Amino acid sequence: MADQAGAQNAAQSPRTAVVIGGNRIPFARAGGAYAYSSNKDMLIAALDGLVARFGLQGERIGEVAAGAVLKHSRDFNLTREAVLGSALSPQTPAYDLQQACATGLETVVGLSNKIKLGQIESGIAGGVDSASDAPIAVSEGLRRVLLDLSRAKTTPQKLRILSTLRPKDLSPNAPGTGEPRTGLSMGEHQAITTAAWKITREAQDELAYRSHHNLAAAYERGFFSDLMTPYRGLTRDANLRADTSLEKLATLKPVFGKGLDTPATMTAGNSTPLTDGAALVLLGSEEYATANNLPMLANIVDAEAAAVDFVHGEEGLLMGGVHAVPRLLERNGLTLDDFDFFEIHEAFAGTVLSALAAWEDEDYCKRVLGLDGALGSIDRSRLNVHGSSLAAGHPFAATGGRIVASLAKTLSEQGGRGLISICAAGGQGVVAILEARN
Amino acid sequence: MNGALPAEVELTTVPGLAGLYRQALALAVRRKVGLLPTPSVLPAVRHRVGGVAVDLGGLTRFQHLLGSAARDVLPSAYLHTLAFPVAMSVLTRADFPLPLLGMVHLSNEVHQDRQVSAFEKLDVVSWSEGLRPHPAGLQVDLVTEIGVDGIRVWSGRSVYLARGMRLETPDPRERGPKDRPAFSRPATTGLWRLDADTGRRYAAVSGDWNPIHLSGLTARALGMKTAIAHGMYLAARMVDEAVPAPAGPLVWRINFASPVLLPGAVTTSFLHRGTPDDERVDVVGWSAARQRLHFTGWVRAE
Repeated sequence: MADQAGAQNAAQSPRTAVVIGGNRIPFARAGGAYAYSSNKDMLIAALDGLVARFGLQGERIGEVAAGAVLKHSRDFNLTREAVLGSALSPQTPAYDLQQACATGLETVVGLSNKIKLGQIESGIAGGVDSASDAPIAVSEGLRRVLLDLSRAKTTPQKLRILSTLRPKDLSPNAPGTGEPRTGLSMGEHQAITTAAWKITREAQDELAYRSHHNLAAAYERGFFSDLMTPYRGLTRDANLRADTSLEKLATLKPVFGKGLDTPATMTAGNSTPLTDGAALVLLGSEEYATANNLPMLANIVDAEAAAVDFVHGEEGLLMGGVHAVPRLLERNGLTLDDFDFFEIHEAFAGTVLSALAAWEDEDYCKRVLGLDGALGSIDRSRLNVHGSSLAAGHPFAATGGRIVASLAKTLSEQGGRGLISICAAGGQGVVAILEARN
Repeated sequence: MNGALPAEVELTTVPGLAGLYRQALALAVRRKVGLLPTPSVLPAVRHRVGGVAVDLGGLTRFQHLLGSAARDVLPSAYLHTLAFPVAMSVLTRADFPLPLLGMVHLSNEVHQDRQVSAFEKLDVVSWSEGLRPHPAGLQVDLVTEIGVDGIRVWSGRSVYLARGMRLETPDPRERGPKDRPAFSRPATTGLWRLDADTGRRYAAVSGDWNPIHLSGLTARALGMKTAIAHGMYLAARMVDEAVPAPAGPLVWRINFASPVLLPGAVTTSFLHRGTPDDERVDVVGWSAARQRLHFTGWVRAE
């Protein structure tokens, strides 16, 4: 039986949850300005800026939720430790969440639901990731030996256990971006989807170019001045190439999909690089914002998660959001035409373009999504208007917070309604609707 | 003191501590064999270095070793560490009357007017004052001030003891307090487990390779029982744990009662005192095994 929430559920929200503001640190390229900063360091740096911006020193926040995708085992309580290292009241509870690249958005969804239910009045949601300071584990063989050794009592026992150690056990395990079930990297998975939807190299480069152009323009007009605090000497996302051109992007060699029958189209220019960074959003009830004289940028209306079977080739790995959006729209009685802004996370240019192509495809929408016809088209001038992950970079768990804060500010400036879609490893996707206050 | 206005010595860069320790050693040898007289008054001089920049890599290593977050705001104790070589250069002057090597760190008190960013250029000035008797010898204050754009932002006073030294004309009325503060053990709130290499790791991030912190062997050569933890390591941890994210002025003090032998464990007590407007944390560190007080202190954030 399909889990389909009824339309009345969304309408019956007991209270409104609002985005008050956000703060992130500029995103750095892996091995760059934050090469020696840990997830905790970056989360605290983002938290410091948020606390300073909204005067939260000593405040007990209802709850803080954040996470990291690449996480050291010692950071089991990462978010709570960051709270304890911050100027927030030590009486502020916190929890860690991990849903791959959807982590940040899912923390916003979870805390906004608590606000709507009246369980909390305020919340801080977001995430952090470091590709530079990634955990490296000992090999499975060495781990086994070390655990057995710790339980051994006599010297002969210890010697016997040590004798099972093989030279290859000494090489460490670094985290990869491979899907555990398929062994394919995320890029290779996307290359299959990109080819299936016949997305051209030119279209991907064009999307990457617009991402850099839009992000650079947003910096130019000071859009991020109240959404960002500098860290370790960075004042802008290090990956941003304001002067990039379609010609330059066209010179890059393909890196994914080289084993497919079709020409490889995915390059380092139209794929997101490994990045370090952190982003947070301050959420609250209307009562909380009013009582504390805080701004209300946008309402968090509703959200939906979806997952697809990419293991058996039924669907592309990063197509989760494509399935979640129609369900969310139906529950809220909306169509794509009812939106003024779209934030589709640019894991790869091919991810965004495959989603757009899928929603325009009548046969796919009927057959796979179970709709009566095509979901519809998206006006490109309303898509990722302040740039997205191709230009800014994509520290996995930080992307949700970046997008929610940017979209909320856009809605507060220009009004209207916005749709967020974030794809994630494991064939998952989380999508959400934000709405201007009036 | 001779009453004259203190002279200023402008150093072009922050001196290297290794060179200063060699200088101190050479000075000690020359005094020992009588080549150099031991002066009886403090030099009326201030050493100054302008435009000191912070190395971000070094800052991050310092912050991580102390368990604090690598934020862009400088830990209060890191400002002390940055300025310490300037203070040391005063102690290693030929006309400084006390032997640097083997001097005991008694206390530190810091008044910081505002938080300082890693991207600010710092002016450091340091001098000695208040040579006076102590029950176990002579004590002296080492004062360091750090300024930005001509405005003082940080001021620290370290008190050192030179054991067995006497003023030329002892004045019994100037004897220091004989009694250490009584050790009444407060509620335990934490435990610092300090490995044998704690001193070496702190030396690597602070640049202070004082042999008494490095290994049992080098410490015994200078009359210690074994290697001891650096006072500023303990102070830095104390300040960060007490107030992890200060936003404004910060005042703190630490009194060293007995050295922390390495490896070792320090039982700690961090207790809030005062009001929300005047947040103060009282800190005590002691050895549960040896029933001995290591340090007391407090941190106040405004």
